[in-house]
Amino acid sequence: MQTRIEAADQRFGWMLSAPGLMLLGAVIGFPIAWALFTSLFDYTLIMPSYDNFVGLDNYVTALGDKEFGHAAWVTLTFVAAIVVVEFSIGFLVALMLNSTERGRGIYYIILLCPLLMNPVVVGLIWRMLLHPTLGIVNYLLGLVGLGPVNWLGDPTNAFITVVLVDVWHQVSFMIVLLLAGLSALPREPYEAARVEGASTLQSFWHITLPLMRPVIVVTLLIRVIFAIKTYDIIYIMTRGGPGDATDLISYFIYRRAFVGLNLGEACALAGLLLAVIVAMTAYLHRVMRKV
Amino acid sequence: MIKLLKPLCAALVSTTALASFAHAETLTILMEAVPDTEYVQALVPEFEKETGIDLEIEVVNYAEMHTKLVPQLVAREGSYSLIVVDFYWVGEFFKAGWMMPLDDYIAKDGFDVSPYVPAMMDLVGAIDGTTYMLPFYNYAMGMLYRTDLLEDEANKSAFKEATGMDLKVPETWDEYLKQVAFFTKGDMKGVVNQGLRPDPIAMEWSNYLFANGGEYMDDTWTSTLTSDAAVKALDDYKTNIDKYGPVGAASFSFDEAFNVFAQGGAYSYITYNFFRAAADDPSSSQVVGKTGIAPVPGVEPGKTGSLNGAWGWAIPKSSPNPDLAWQFLKWVESKDVAVKRALQGGSPTRTDVFDDPAVLEKYPHMADLKALLLGSHNFPTFTYTPQFVEVLGRELSLAVTGDKSSADALAAAAEEFNELAEKDGLKK
Amino acid sequence: MASIELRSVSKAYDGGVHAVRDIDLSIADGEFMIFLGPSGCGKSTTLRMIAGLETATAGDILIGGERVNDLDPAKRDISIVFQNYALFPHMSVRKNLSFGLRLKGTPRAEIERRIGHVSKMMGIDELLDRRPSQLSGGQRQRVALGRALVREPQAFLLDEPLSNLDAKLRAVMRTELIKLHQRLGTTMVHVTHDQVEAMTMGERICIMKDGEVVQVGAPLEVYTNPADTFVAGFLATPSMNLMPARLEADGDGLAIHLAAGTIAVPEPFRAAYAPYAGQAIIAGMRPEDFHEKPAEAGPFGQLVETTIETVEALGPETILTLSQPGGTAFAARVSAAGTSRAGDKIRLTYDAGKLHLFDPRTTKRIARPLSV
Repeated sequence: MQTRIEAADQRFGWMLSAPGLMLLGAVIGFPIAWALFTSLFDYTLIMPSYDNFVGLDNYVTALGDKEFGHAAWVTLTFVAAIVVVEFSIGFLVALMLNSTERGRGIYYIILLCPLLMNPVVVGLIWRMLLHPTLGIVNYLLGLVGLGPVNWLGDPTNAFITVVLVDVWHQVSFMIVLLLAGLSALPREPYEAARVEGASTLQSFWHITLPLMRPVIVVTLLIRVIFAIKTYDIIYIMTRGGPGDATDLISYFIYRRAFVGLNLGEACALAGLLLAVIVAMTAYLHRVMRKV
Repeated sequence: MIKLLKPLCAALVSTTALASFAHAETLTILMEAVPDTEYVQALVPEFEKETGIDLEIEVVNYAEMHTKLVPQLVAREGSYSLIVVDFYWVGEFFKAGWMMPLDDYIAKDGFDVSPYVPAMMDLVGAIDGTTYMLPFYNYAMGMLYRTDLLEDEANKSAFKEATGMDLKVPETWDEYLKQVAFFTKGDMKGVVNQGLRPDPIAMEWSNYLFANGGEYMDDTWTSTLTSDAAVKALDDYKTNIDKYGPVGAASFSFDEAFNVFAQGGAYSYITYNFFRAAADDPSSSQVVGKTGIAPVPGVEPGKTGSLNGAWGWAIPKSSPNPDLAWQFLKWVESKDVAVKRALQGGSPTRTDVFDDPAVLEKYPHMADLKALLLGSHNFPTFTYTPQFVEVLGRELSLAVTGDKSSADALAAAAEEFNELAEKDGLKK
Repeated sequence: MASIELRSVSKAYDGGVHAVRDIDLSIADGEFMIFLGPSGCGKSTTLRMIAGLETATAGDILIGGERVNDLDPAKRDISIVFQNYALFPHMSVRKNLSFGLRLKGTPRAEIERRIGHVSKMMGIDELLDRRPSQLSGGQRQRVALGRALVREPQAFLLDEPLSNLDAKLRAVMRTELIKLHQRLGTTMVHVTHDQVEAMTMGERICIMKDGEVVQVGAPLEVYTNPADTFVAGFLATPSMNLMPARLEADGDGLAIHLAAGTIAVPEPFRAAYAPYAGQAIIAGMRPEDFHEKPAEAGPFGQLVETTIETVEALGPETILTLSQPGGTAFAARVSAAGTSRAGDKIRLTYDAGKLHLFDPRTTKRIARPLSV
């Protein structure tokens, strides 16, 4: 049974959140709803009309498309690769920074620099640096008798190169988040463990890792969600090539929409991607509430 | 509340009125970041002084153009007064009905379209008898080569000894391939390619296709990409990248490939003709005065493999001020202004500009370019050209990386071409 | 079990700030030693140096006669209990207790035996499968103590272990710790800022101030004979009244001139205080040495007449704040039975045999014969 004061409080609460909710509805809710609606039609930019209702045909076509399947597979390996590499490096650097007292601010600034750059700029810069014959990287490798490395012209290399450039660009994100988690850890359990005879490695394994678990889960999930949406670097550096070695889902959807002009199918693809991301976000939300 | 709203409304109304007033006097054009755009930009102050119209040219990279254009074209009133259209968007734009017919303007002002090279008008001018565009500049592709290497006596005798042929500007595709192999020694490469997906590789390989006597389709819009000539063209392309080109050419865009040529790293580079002027620009090139351009040689002397390409000016139906747009268009495409653009290095589309004595005097290679343009081949243009370029680029790239055999890649491209042609109702 | 010895131990930080300076202290085997002092006095730092969590920048630390300065904390065979328990939050109580033993590779049966023993002793045998977050503050404290116990160390170091508990629980745990010490007989070093804990628990108290040891001694000894005004003012509530005064010759004797009046120096102290005649001194008088009945004040009782400013009736006793015209007010502890009210005149008898004088320049107690 709700008292009158509670009811009034609730009304007031709704009133306060209404402008925000309306704005969210307008800029996020409406486009999503529109996209999902469009995905049920044979809607192209050449013939923009909602005359041809096709039901779930666009989804069926998308799921049966081999190229889409390949892009999904490439995306999966790409996400796994960057998240694993970025997490490993990120955790290591965060641990090192956490025990650094002098010059921490300077390291911070240096590490944050790549993160502040636009991915398009990052892609362009690295494309220039990695030019096989005119780029500085191969020149420097040449000085020590290595190379020239075919960074982007070979399918395997190109995939690794794109992963490494993304790592260069985004690893600081992991570092910053993990470092925040590490510096919030209580000091006493470590001292207790030290008195109990735990080595540094044992302390890490028995105390740091379990205590950091919630932070780690959240960091990984956030990174995975962002990684799935990777687009700019691929667009700038490889266009999904050579061959289809770096053809990520986001870039695939972009092509469906703006090259193929097939908005219905592109919306269906985006809907599938959204479903995956929403599922992961829901899980993230649950994990965060448990923390 | 009402009291508060009133002045607010008044303020809103007056600002929108101001905005639309300013709008009427401003022409906004979306253009690609290429040399020919710069030549236009250099002349804009003249136009603004003459007419008092404010001209805003928004310059973006090629990759962004289509993405930026489409939403504006779909809208009832877009933000672009005038646009430039790449030839392979023409089918799509026409089908979608985004372009305004220009015949009334042409008739009213007596604008003469006869000086345009006919192939240009076919590509980016009239469709089914209606003029939708005026040709802006051509980017027919040609073979950039190093004149100094060809004239070198040691090279001449060595080539003669190796092949039994004279070293000269190649007249046939086989002769060219022999030269490519001949000039590849250590860091010096016979050729540099632009192997990036999708359009750089698709456009470049088209020259290989035509040079081998291949075609994209027959008269019934059925793909002929599975022909032996096409397979050989792809094998040639792959061989050139793998054996006679610099490391990484499979991922080069045209600027990266041109840089290799301009740094003196390759004997030849099949590319857009506007790079001919850039090769003589000391700020970007180390091979100034050592570069020639010729039509891509074909199966036999006199035939060429060059791919035609061009941009056209069009007034979109969503243009906020089509009359002003036409006023600018007829100015920028007038012979005077076209000559001024050509004198800066632009790639003409009008025969009277090609033949202009001042232009010829400054750029003797204009004669080569005219020949190149006249003999060049057209890429199939239809509603789904961009999509086909995407498919073709992907399949070619897969063949280059060795993920697919040339025959398989071309079969896949052919199949999708046929589907797209059928979807467009072209297949007979 | 082991003795602990500190020889000229100092801890200095970069920039020369001393957290602890030149400490000499011997803690006998099996002794219950209290480190007492206000926060920032260096007592915790000293404890942590013994534990090995901080390094001494000078001096020697000996445990069981062996120099341990360079020995890893784990190898010093000591246990430490932290103020906020420092339990491993992700481990069950059982895992918490066995952590150190598991790391050492103690056989499982032995671990079980010790945990069973300790958890019964600490009354936490019902909680073994819970997580620390499911325990109350008192239970966590017991687990923390239990974790220290299972390792059967040579010495226990307790870093303000009771300060996070509420008053009632603190009293209970105090008693338990005393009993535990009696039962185990292990050396214990207990850091606290609570003088009640210090007075009730330890065999000896080491009082620290600004990184230095001020006085070491048995609780009652420190209470009756504080080394300086700091110790005098720190121990007991209300603490010793410290009143600026002058010592003057008075015929054959000496008299202390306070704002409120004069107090004659008892004969046995005269020789010791004589050199200070004619000088300013600080008179230290404990509130409990004022008596309502002159007979209770002993042979050196002296009448004090004054006015009551405030009355704090605590139940078993009453604290009076007494005015001293021209000087600071002072406190007296009297029986609860009185019917005194603020504003009343009152006559109390002060037992001058408990009087201490302090040198105002050094703040040190002026030596005098200890018992009269």
